[in-house]
Amino acid sequence: MDRRALAIAVTDILLRHLPQSATEEAAAAVVADLIPLVESAGEPGQEAEDRRLVIITVMGKNHSGIVHAFSEVLAEYGVDIVDINQTLVHGNFAMMVIVDLAGARTDFQGLKAALKKRGEEVHVQVYCQYEDIMRAVNRI
Amino acid sequence: MTYTRREILQTLRMTELEHFDIRTVTMGINLLDCGHDDPGEAGRRIYAKLTRLAAALPSTVTQVADDLGIRVANRRIAISPVALVHTRPEPSSYVAMASQIDRAAGEMGFDFVGGYSALVHAGFTDADRALIASMPETLSSTERLCSSVNAGSSRTGLNMDAVRMVAAMLKETALRTQDRGSIGCAKFVVFANAVEDNPFMAGAFHGTALPEVVIHVGVSGPGVVCQAIRRAGPCDLRELENVIKQTAFKITRVGDLIGRLVADRLGVPFGIVDLSLAPTPELGDSVGEVLEAMGLERTGACGTTAALALLTDAMKKGGAMAASAVGGLSGAFIPVSEDAAMIAAAREGALTLEKMEAMTAVCSVGLDMVAVPGDTSEDVLSGFIADELAIGVINHKTTAVRVIPAHGMKAGQSVSFGGLLGEAPIMEIRNLSCSGFVRRGGQIPAPITSLRN
Repeated sequence: MDRRALAIAVTDILLRHLPQSATEEAAAAVVADLIPLVESAGEPGQEAEDRRLVIITVMGKNHSGIVHAFSEVLAEYGVDIVDINQTLVHGNFAMMVIVDLAGARTDFQGLKAALKKRGEEVHVQVYCQYEDIMRAVNRI
Repeated sequence: MTYTRREILQTLRMTELEHFDIRTVTMGINLLDCGHDDPGEAGRRIYAKLTRLAAALPSTVTQVADDLGIRVANRRIAISPVALVHTRPEPSSYVAMASQIDRAAGEMGFDFVGGYSALVHAGFTDADRALIASMPETLSSTERLCSSVNAGSSRTGLNMDAVRMVAAMLKETALRTQDRGSIGCAKFVVFANAVEDNPFMAGAFHGTALPEVVIHVGVSGPGVVCQAIRRAGPCDLRELENVIKQTAFKITRVGDLIGRLVADRLGVPFGIVDLSLAPTPELGDSVGEVLEAMGLERTGACGTTAALALLTDAMKKGGAMAASAVGGLSGAFIPVSEDAAMIAAAREGALTLEKMEAMTAVCSVGLDMVAVPGDTSEDVLSGFIADELAIGVINHKTTAVRVIPAHGMKAGQSVSFGGLLGEAPIMEIRNLSCSGFVRRGGQIPAPITSLRN
């Protein structure tokens, strides 16, 4: 099972087990169901090498709708969000998104251009970098 | 998150706010197989080889840079020392080859090609003499060709005849390019212990022991180091060294990554990362500013040499761990005209040529981009160059002189070259005669420390 199929299966289980008023017990039951599934998925192996992670950083004056503006672009191109973090730095909006381009309906350049364009529309700065640079600078 | 918010923002600050860039990706190309008795034919072979091998470099570098969100300031070529490319050993032969190299570089969009060079630290071949004689014409008639002469080494001593030849050549080049601030001299450097894998101009050339084609990377980043020092506050010197080392590590890792990716995509071996702090005239991109951030009122104050020694050594220590192969000149450059804080210090008289000479004993190269009055005599220039090269020969380090005897200009005035070459204040040079010494000619023999076997 690849990661995408795994994610879909996980979502199905969550929807089955967790109503809107989910309790801690219900969550524990989900985890119990998930463990054998995750174990059967095995090591990421080759799949991990095919992942092309890109780090998108959005910065600018805070106003409503910024997260929506960018998640809309990502959804439009079928870009998978691996991790997302949004905060205010000295009162300014800052959002960092790690996305996986494997399986997306665009390439790096296409995504970058679309995000920059959207950045101009909502008046924020957008930076788009392959993850390699973060690894080089921050990991030994 | 895979990376913390802090890590991502710090990396972004480094690339976006602190002038961090990769200063150059330089392709080294062997031209020794392009020789021909007929210089016209040799030139055609060189043109064909350069355009075949280097054409894809600029676009590949641009793409890798864009993927990583890093600026790469320059794409350059280093070629085999042209004096070693066989042809009829007459000055006109080399001028003909030079025009083909310049044309190839221009058509492919390179700003500089290094390697119009002769290695004469232990004497001249006929080709070496002809090439040096051709330099004034080449440096004044081409745009992109950079030239160098290696006149001394710790193994062979110092060739004073070469030093005098270079001084005369510089005077003539200054005269020929007087309408542009004697810019021809800014494209020439004279070395002791020149290195064969240096990616930086004007001294780059492709050494004879290197592969057919190779990619070298020159990193930079005085702005990043300066901000890190400022953030560290009033810490002690051991901690200060640590801060510089850690910053050098990060900078070099990026250079290593870029070099590997470019080399991979071009199918060419990756050579070395040169981890020099190389300033540009832009504010916030200055080695002088780094020294001042360490606690000096001005570059040139007492303590400058000690601060520079700490800086250069810490850069090497941090960088050496971060790249698969470190080489080139590696350390810190102190070119006056290319560094805003050095320009200011020289203008105010805080930085003198004598102080700079002392600094070059601990920096990575030498007296770089210094302008002196146009009426400086050939003999004084020879003595000036010999002093600097002697420091390198005796201390087993690379030293160099890139001096512009700006024609018609006097101390206190300044010449502007524009772009990366910046603006050079004309500095006072000691005009006492050294003719009795330099005119003796011949070779200063190798130092006793050369006997190491």
